[in-house]
Amino acid sequence: MPVIPIKEYADSDGLYGRVQQQYAHFDGITLESGVFLGPLTVAYETYGQLSPNKDNAILVLHALSGDAHVAGIDENGRLGWWDAMIGPGKGIDTNRYFVICSNCLGGCKGTTGPPSINPETSRPYGRQFPLITIGDMVRVQAMLVEHLGIERLHNVIGGSMGGMQALEWSVRFPDKVRSAVVIAATARLSPQGIAFNWVGRNAIYCDPIRCSDGSDRKDACEDTGRGLAVARMIGHITYLSEETMEAKFGRKLRLKDMDGYLYSLGENGVERGEFEVESYLRHQGSSFVQRFDEDSYIVITKAIDYFDLEKETGELSEAFKGVQAKILVISFSSDWLYPTSMSMAIVRALLKVHKDVSFIELDLPYGHDSFLVNAGIPSMTRIVRGFLQGVR
Amino acid sequence: MCAEVRKIRSPFHEFAFGFNVIVDLIEPGTRVLDLGCGTGTLLQRLRDEKNVEVCGVEVDQEKVIRAIERGIRILRFDLDEGLDDFPDRSYDYVVLSRTLQQLMNPGRVVREMLRIGAKSIITFPNFGHWKIAAQYLLRGRMPLHTTHPHPWHRTPDIHPLTIEDFRDFINRVGGKIEHEIHIIGDRPRTQIFWANRRAEWGCCLVSAA
Repeated sequence: MPVIPIKEYADSDGLYGRVQQQYAHFDGITLESGVFLGPLTVAYETYGQLSPNKDNAILVLHALSGDAHVAGIDENGRLGWWDAMIGPGKGIDTNRYFVICSNCLGGCKGTTGPPSINPETSRPYGRQFPLITIGDMVRVQAMLVEHLGIERLHNVIGGSMGGMQALEWSVRFPDKVRSAVVIAATARLSPQGIAFNWVGRNAIYCDPIRCSDGSDRKDACEDTGRGLAVARMIGHITYLSEETMEAKFGRKLRLKDMDGYLYSLGENGVERGEFEVESYLRHQGSSFVQRFDEDSYIVITKAIDYFDLEKETGELSEAFKGVQAKILVISFSSDWLYPTSMSMAIVRALLKVHKDVSFIELDLPYGHDSFLVNAGIPSMTRIVRGFLQGVR
Repeated sequence: MCAEVRKIRSPFHEFAFGFNVIVDLIEPGTRVLDLGCGTGTLLQRLRDEKNVEVCGVEVDQEKVIRAIERGIRILRFDLDEGLDDFPDRSYDYVVLSRTLQQLMNPGRVVREMLRIGAKSIITFPNFGHWKIAAQYLLRGRMPLHTTHPHPWHRTPDIHPLTIEDFRDFINRVGGKIEHEIHIIGDRPRTQIFWANRRAEWGCCLVSAA
């Protein structure tokens, strides 16, 4: 193994090099709703080498809009979404660990989801895709892990929805995870979070109906996708903090010579957006439409909405009784979507039932997305590296 | 002119000596919770030397990160916001080392310690030391000493106390001092004459009365 010095400050530099997406195929899964979904394809990537004892595997869990491409450079030259964190010598060191990341069930990046072909109709599932849960996503991940011949994961780690999955892993498969890192997550989505998701989905429902009749997506009206863009813009606002917006955009106008009276008033349903924050959001929205499927957005946000570890037992600590993993909970001071109080609720419940939990709130100004922002990576790197080393 | 004492803390704080006193009080193989644990120096020693199952509480972000890097289990909590989340008798020892005098509500924290741990170990700088008293008496100024090195306007030690004060205090919060150690010039002593005026530090093993 080549000796590469530990990096103090990691960057998104594609240090791991080229990676190839892989696919695992399964007969199917009976969802929590009782519906059978199959056949099933799971898209995933792996990094590093699995040790002979198969005890160095780390499963990385992506958030709502993520995919299996977490590190390195894919065939299109695109960097992984957490490349700053994962690679040789980085926080999750691919010289030590075998890292796995898969696209979640219901996604649109290679794993079975609404854009996949429904074998019964030979057309994409679209909105006929069954309701799924975070638990279903985790069970599919467990199938993949088993398929790779791994009995016990060294660690599961994820932020936001990925953090929910990390918790779900620890509860559902206590003997299959040695440790979990739960970042900017919650054990149950807040009504505020449900509300934002509801508004986002309703924006999508406002679009002309695309394929509820099962017609081919290619013939769909050009206007589709505007709702998804609006949903993404709303989502993006919730991922940032007021402080970041002020610093990043302020009240700056996009056009320097704009005198304030030349703005468009939404003629033909189009407003150009003069403020920088507007044009930033518009870009986020329109680029999201290119890379994401609106029905996946619906299915995944529904799964997030229904995530509630308290529901069955009435008390969170009861749900945590069987947990065996060492758990690290990380929250961000500026995150108002999944605020520190929600992470604290997880920590409290774990303490109550004598579980091995560590907790840190990081004072980072970037809101819910702090774990993805490169400026937060140096401290995240130290924390995750230290924690992983302490897991035996 | 700022008459701040150069050395930040007396050697009692330093790794080599300071924690020996506490380490010696703790039985091997037990569970220890260290409140205000800093970067986890004491806990690391307890884990490595005495096979102790450790957990720390610290409010300073940088110190918490440092402790996690050392593989120490730690929670970033503010002690003054309470410790309700720890179950009764969940630890064999709860340590509060040189933090008591910095707490907003020391009574509440120590009561919680007595509830959470079978035994508590509390160390604090003794404000009753004769040199401190002499400074105040003779110079009419707030004292500066190796144990109290910060000027009044910048000190984190918002609740200075003496060994006598501590005895009363423990009574008041429903505890019992089982063992009292006095530190003079880096040396731990027990049952010394005039401790309240001669000891630089007090270190007490306390249990619920």
